[in-house]
Amino acid sequence: MSAITRFGIRLEPRPDRPRWLVWAVPVCSFFAALLVGAVVLLVTAQNPLSTYLRILERGFLDQGALSGTLVAATPLLFTGLCAAVAFKIGFFNIGGEGQFYMGAIFASGIALSYGDDLPAWLAILSMIVAGAIGGGIWAAVPGILRAYFKTNEIITSLMLNYIAGIIATYLIFESESFWRELDGTGAVFPKGKVIPLITWWPNLDLGSLVIPFGFLLGIAGAVWLAVLQRRTRFGYEMRVVGGAPTTARYAGMRPSRIIVIVAAISGAFAGLGGAADVGNFRHVLDPKGLQQSGFGYAGIVVAALARLNPLATIFVAVILGGITNAGYALRGPDFPSGLVGTLQGLILFCTLGGEVLVRYRIVRTASTSVAVKAAGS
Amino acid sequence: MGITTRRRSFRKAGIVALSLVAVLGLFASACSSSDDSSSSGGITKAAWIYVGPINDGGWTTAHNAGREFAAKELGAKVKTTFKESIPEGPEAAQVIDGLVKDGNTIIFATSYGYKQQMQDAAAKYPNVKFEQATGDDITTGKAGLPTNYNEYWGAGEDTLYLSGVAAGNASKKGVIGIVAPFPIPEVIRHINAFTLGAQSVNPAATVKVVWTKSWFNPTLERQAAESLVSSGVDALFSHQDGPAAGEVAKAGNLPWVGYDSDQSGSYSSVWLTTATYNWGPYYLAKINASSDGTWKADNYYGTIADNFTSLAPFGTLVSGATKSSIDSQLALAKSGGAKSFGWFWGLQDRLDQDGAVKIKKGTSLTQKDLYTMSYFVKGVDGSAKG
Repeated sequence: MSAITRFGIRLEPRPDRPRWLVWAVPVCSFFAALLVGAVVLLVTAQNPLSTYLRILERGFLDQGALSGTLVAATPLLFTGLCAAVAFKIGFFNIGGEGQFYMGAIFASGIALSYGDDLPAWLAILSMIVAGAIGGGIWAAVPGILRAYFKTNEIITSLMLNYIAGIIATYLIFESESFWRELDGTGAVFPKGKVIPLITWWPNLDLGSLVIPFGFLLGIAGAVWLAVLQRRTRFGYEMRVVGGAPTTARYAGMRPSRIIVIVAAISGAFAGLGGAADVGNFRHVLDPKGLQQSGFGYAGIVVAALARLNPLATIFVAVILGGITNAGYALRGPDFPSGLVGTLQGLILFCTLGGEVLVRYRIVRTASTSVAVKAAGS
Repeated sequence: MGITTRRRSFRKAGIVALSLVAVLGLFASACSSSDDSSSSGGITKAAWIYVGPINDGGWTTAHNAGREFAAKELGAKVKTTFKESIPEGPEAAQVIDGLVKDGNTIIFATSYGYKQQMQDAAAKYPNVKFEQATGDDITTGKAGLPTNYNEYWGAGEDTLYLSGVAAGNASKKGVIGIVAPFPIPEVIRHINAFTLGAQSVNPAATVKVVWTKSWFNPTLERQAAESLVSSGVDALFSHQDGPAAGEVAKAGNLPWVGYDSDQSGSYSSVWLTTATYNWGPYYLAKINASSDGTWKADNYYGTIADNFTSLAPFGTLVSGATKSSIDSQLALAKSGGAKSFGWFWGLQDRLDQDGAVKIKKGTSLTQKDLYTMSYFVKGVDGSAKG
């Protein structure tokens, strides 16, 4: 029997997972994180209540705050979906970061080459396709290596992040590439060429709320993924491969092929994020800014908090985007940036730590000797 | 699971929730709101955006010292704040929005990568002054730019030339290693100035350049310095935001020139000197100007004469003769006897790495020439393209 016994309490697997628990645990974990965070804040002479209120205001409530949050949430949504779809079948794609860069490289390349010759909708569509292809290829490499050569995808996808970063840096800083602006101010500091105005992605302006087109695209992607996973034969195969690869093979499925396809879909999501980064926000290929942001790694966190559920990823991306956004507002002379990171880390730690309570229940054991016996049995 | 157990679980959850609320309430009462809603009567709110942490021991530390200087001088008349380690890109726009919302009326951003966001924000908030450290306006002109946007920077190459004099005298072999961030005109002209300084006391002196492609990456900086040492240099200059190369210099007991912050205390055994930027007086002047309405976009380029650029205190490795030679050049520059900046470029014909004359004897360089310098002078071993 697989039970964990320590300190006079026992964790034993729940025979069932009641619906309310699945919701209650993360919510309570979140509040627990705020409580622990409050202690940290008190110790560092901050006012927890005003700190939390400020996060709420600057992340969500203030005028324009939510628009800023959506800017922060858009890349997280894409990299979150990237991790969610891959992790679901046990393909641990840590390469969202590099796939994001490749998407940005491909999309900016297309926009710079053809942007001026195409109508806006077609130019933007080709950026989307190019971004997805760039990220997809970059993720298919570890996918193929894993499916056919049994290579550990955690290592390969991670290493490809560095290679993608070096390629992006090379294009702007170390070569006179097509992506680089060489004239004008480009002679003072290496920078990418600005993509033609016609290829800038639009924003949906609702007055008090501005929604980037990239975010809408991300929502569409999440819905598509949810349908794919739940309503199609391929989704069913993904579930089987994720749960029991051997069974999948006996059932006549081809796990290797499914792994490669899912890897490519996963990378395509991150690549779309890169395309949105260029099309919606930066309008240039900016290797330095991309690498400072680290959206790919943050996406793993988003997916974990969303329990790999595509639709939940939307909400988690917005919440984490808001916290990131508000985190900038908190930083200051009396509020070191490390403390912001600590608060964000605490929320993550508690929410993921709370997971165990969904899968196990706590049983109090009468005494230590009983506990030892139970562990031995 | 039966109804009863479920109800019990609910009760448990209720107790947990209640205690959560209770504890939160406790916190709320324990820390009676200490919010400072300043009644901005005559108080200017000024903010800084930093690319690194304030304790990077170089670039950001120096800007933050400038902020503290201005805050101290102005006392109750100013309220300053800063945001450290802000990524360059769309995130910066959100930071600026937040700072404007907080009531700041003058914002200083201290890395080139914020330029776009600063210009966008200047158009969006015409009543706020936007000051961008480093930039490239000088090459394109101000046409089309918001009038509440300005750039400021200083002639660090002048003081690096003098640091080169110290290094040229300290290096026995005349081979100096340089750990440098990016192959961009700013860094290239600094390396050239340093090299010319070293050659002014040892015409045969050469420098070897290794690029880290990063402003602040202690691991890479250390590795670069180590590779230079193993290639045979006997003095080091690191043009980085932090002092990691100083550690390598210390371990190998090699004379070291740092960059933009005085590290003479921590590395006294190997310290020569360095170019430092004195941001404080500029910040003070600009905050004053913004509060009394005299602020204007003046594309400031600070010099030795106005005390914007200066040399950090000399280390013990700098000989008396070297010191007095550097000091006399400094004094000349300060008195305005030399041109306001860049007096040394045209002292003789300056050749590039291929031997072509790039600067004729007697000519002086404009700020635009400096901002677009893309070649290395003779004596530099390394590629100006990275």
